[in-house]
Amino acid sequence: MAAVTGTATLDERVLVEQAQTGNRAAFEELVRRYDRDVLRLALNLMKRTEDARDVYQEAFLKVYRNLHRFRFECSFYTWLYRIVTNVCLDHLRRRQARPEDQAPELHTKHQEEGSTDFFERQREHRATLDPERHLLGQEIKAKLAAAMERLSPRERVVFEMKHYQGLKLRAIGDALGTSEETVKNSLFRATRKLRSQLGELR
Amino acid sequence: MNGATPIRCKDVTALLAFYVCDEVNNEERAAIDAHVATCEDCKARLTEELEFENVLRSLPDASEQFDPSGILLGQCRSELAEKIDDLEHPRVDLRDASGLGWLRRWMGLHPLWSAATLVLLGLVAGMESTRWFTGAENANALDVVNVRPNGPRLTEDQLSKMAVAGVNFVPSPNNSGAKTVRVQLSAEQPVELSGSVEDTDVRSVLTYVVRNGERFDSGVRLDCLDALKTHAEDGQVREALLAAARKDQNPAVRLKALEALREATADTEVRQTLLQTLQHDSNPGVRVEAVNLLVRSIETGPAGIVMTPGVDIPGMPQSELMQTKAGSPAGDSLQSMIRALEELQRRDPSQYVRMRSAAALREISVRNEQ
Repeated sequence: MAAVTGTATLDERVLVEQAQTGNRAAFEELVRRYDRDVLRLALNLMKRTEDARDVYQEAFLKVYRNLHRFRFECSFYTWLYRIVTNVCLDHLRRRQARPEDQAPELHTKHQEEGSTDFFERQREHRATLDPERHLLGQEIKAKLAAAMERLSPRERVVFEMKHYQGLKLRAIGDALGTSEETVKNSLFRATRKLRSQLGELR
Repeated sequence: MNGATPIRCKDVTALLAFYVCDEVNNEERAAIDAHVATCEDCKARLTEELEFENVLRSLPDASEQFDPSGILLGQCRSELAEKIDDLEHPRVDLRDASGLGWLRRWMGLHPLWSAATLVLLGLVAGMESTRWFTGAENANALDVVNVRPNGPRLTEDQLSKMAVAGVNFVPSPNNSGAKTVRVQLSAEQPVELSGSVEDTDVRSVLTYVVRNGERFDSGVRLDCLDALKTHAEDGQVREALLAAARKDQNPAVRLKALEALREATADTEVRQTLLQTLQHDSNPGVRVEAVNLLVRSIETGPAGIVMTPGVDIPGMPQSELMQTKAGSPAGDSLQSMIRALEELQRRDPSQYVRMRSAAALREISVRNEQ
């Protein structure tokens, strides 16, 4: 996600202030600014559409209910991500507590069974546009998915925010309410664990 | 590196993971660069780190796989809008709102007393009913205001303050097909509108809901579209249907709005909306319906559309084969439609939409030959 600066910040402050007074259109504009990235993070972390959907709803409803508490002490984006990451961590922790829920299944399942839904077929089609990348992706993805399940929820969130959202460690620290050094340690541990799993592929 | 502080292998190893994802400071970067220039072991470790980083970068993004066409994002937005609607205008749970929960509990615990009380109530009701019937009109006015067709007109301002609690359909008594629509509005004083879609107030409410989709539950929006679907020839109704087809957040509502416009495809504005949907709607199902309706619009098109027989040359775009009255608005509209279909056939991310567009172009071409 790109950092919000300059005039965008000014616009955003006005938007947040309007949303705080109950202006629904302003709130929806705020949602639309960031929800694509929120859903992306949720999908990458949860690897299931249903869970990602739950994260999306829970996070934005929390934002809606607590917006009046936001005091512009940090950027809106940092505050939003603090909420989103907490919701993600909660979901991951709950999932870890239920071993039957751990394996992500959705994508591979419909490929094996042969899909009849044309929306589903689109996903397959898009993924096979570049066969080489697809093959490499499939092989490594399976290993990576297994390795990801062994990371702690925090390591996983840090890893995803760094690699898929391209956030700086300081921003991740802000979102998680922790120091850059702690985030650095989590990322280091996550990378070591994943590398040891994927090592033999190289 | 000039001025770089010497660094040990152990420290380099610890920093390489951050080096490759650009999370080291300038000083650390300089020290690492200087170190790997002379240390083969660390250079090999750096290569490994870079390869791993490349592997991670080459992995497909889960959001690309799970939601390539943004359908999930659209659904999430609609769900959120509906949940916030519920928070802003909580739906009244009639079981609790009636305040009779205590009575139910009491009756559950005292079945015999309950039966006796009910029999007594039935007797009293039977005896008093004749008196109640004579005063029925007044009694009704106590809790619900019925706005009849000749009642006061609702203003836009009044509408904006109301929430639509439900839309029901009552079949016409003589099966003439003209159903009565009953719309319950919840406001400070509940209002029930009853009448056919031709009734000004009923139509105002239905079109208001369809035009301002973000304020209402998608179920209510779909019900209103259901009531309006046979009235697309009316200007006010058509305008509302077009607005919903263009901007409703829920793909099911957009699809239903398009279906309701099925009989109005000869209208220029409807065609414009169809073209816009074809090019910009995020949902493949909605785009396919737009293709279907555009093909249909050629059958029912205005007299201005003239397709002179063209020669079918393989590989030649249909738009060049199709001759229309030069400069006529309808001709231009057909040309832009064919161009849009060709574009869709080539570039649409959905395979099904591409196939349907190709079939549509063939249908247009066949019709042209006839």
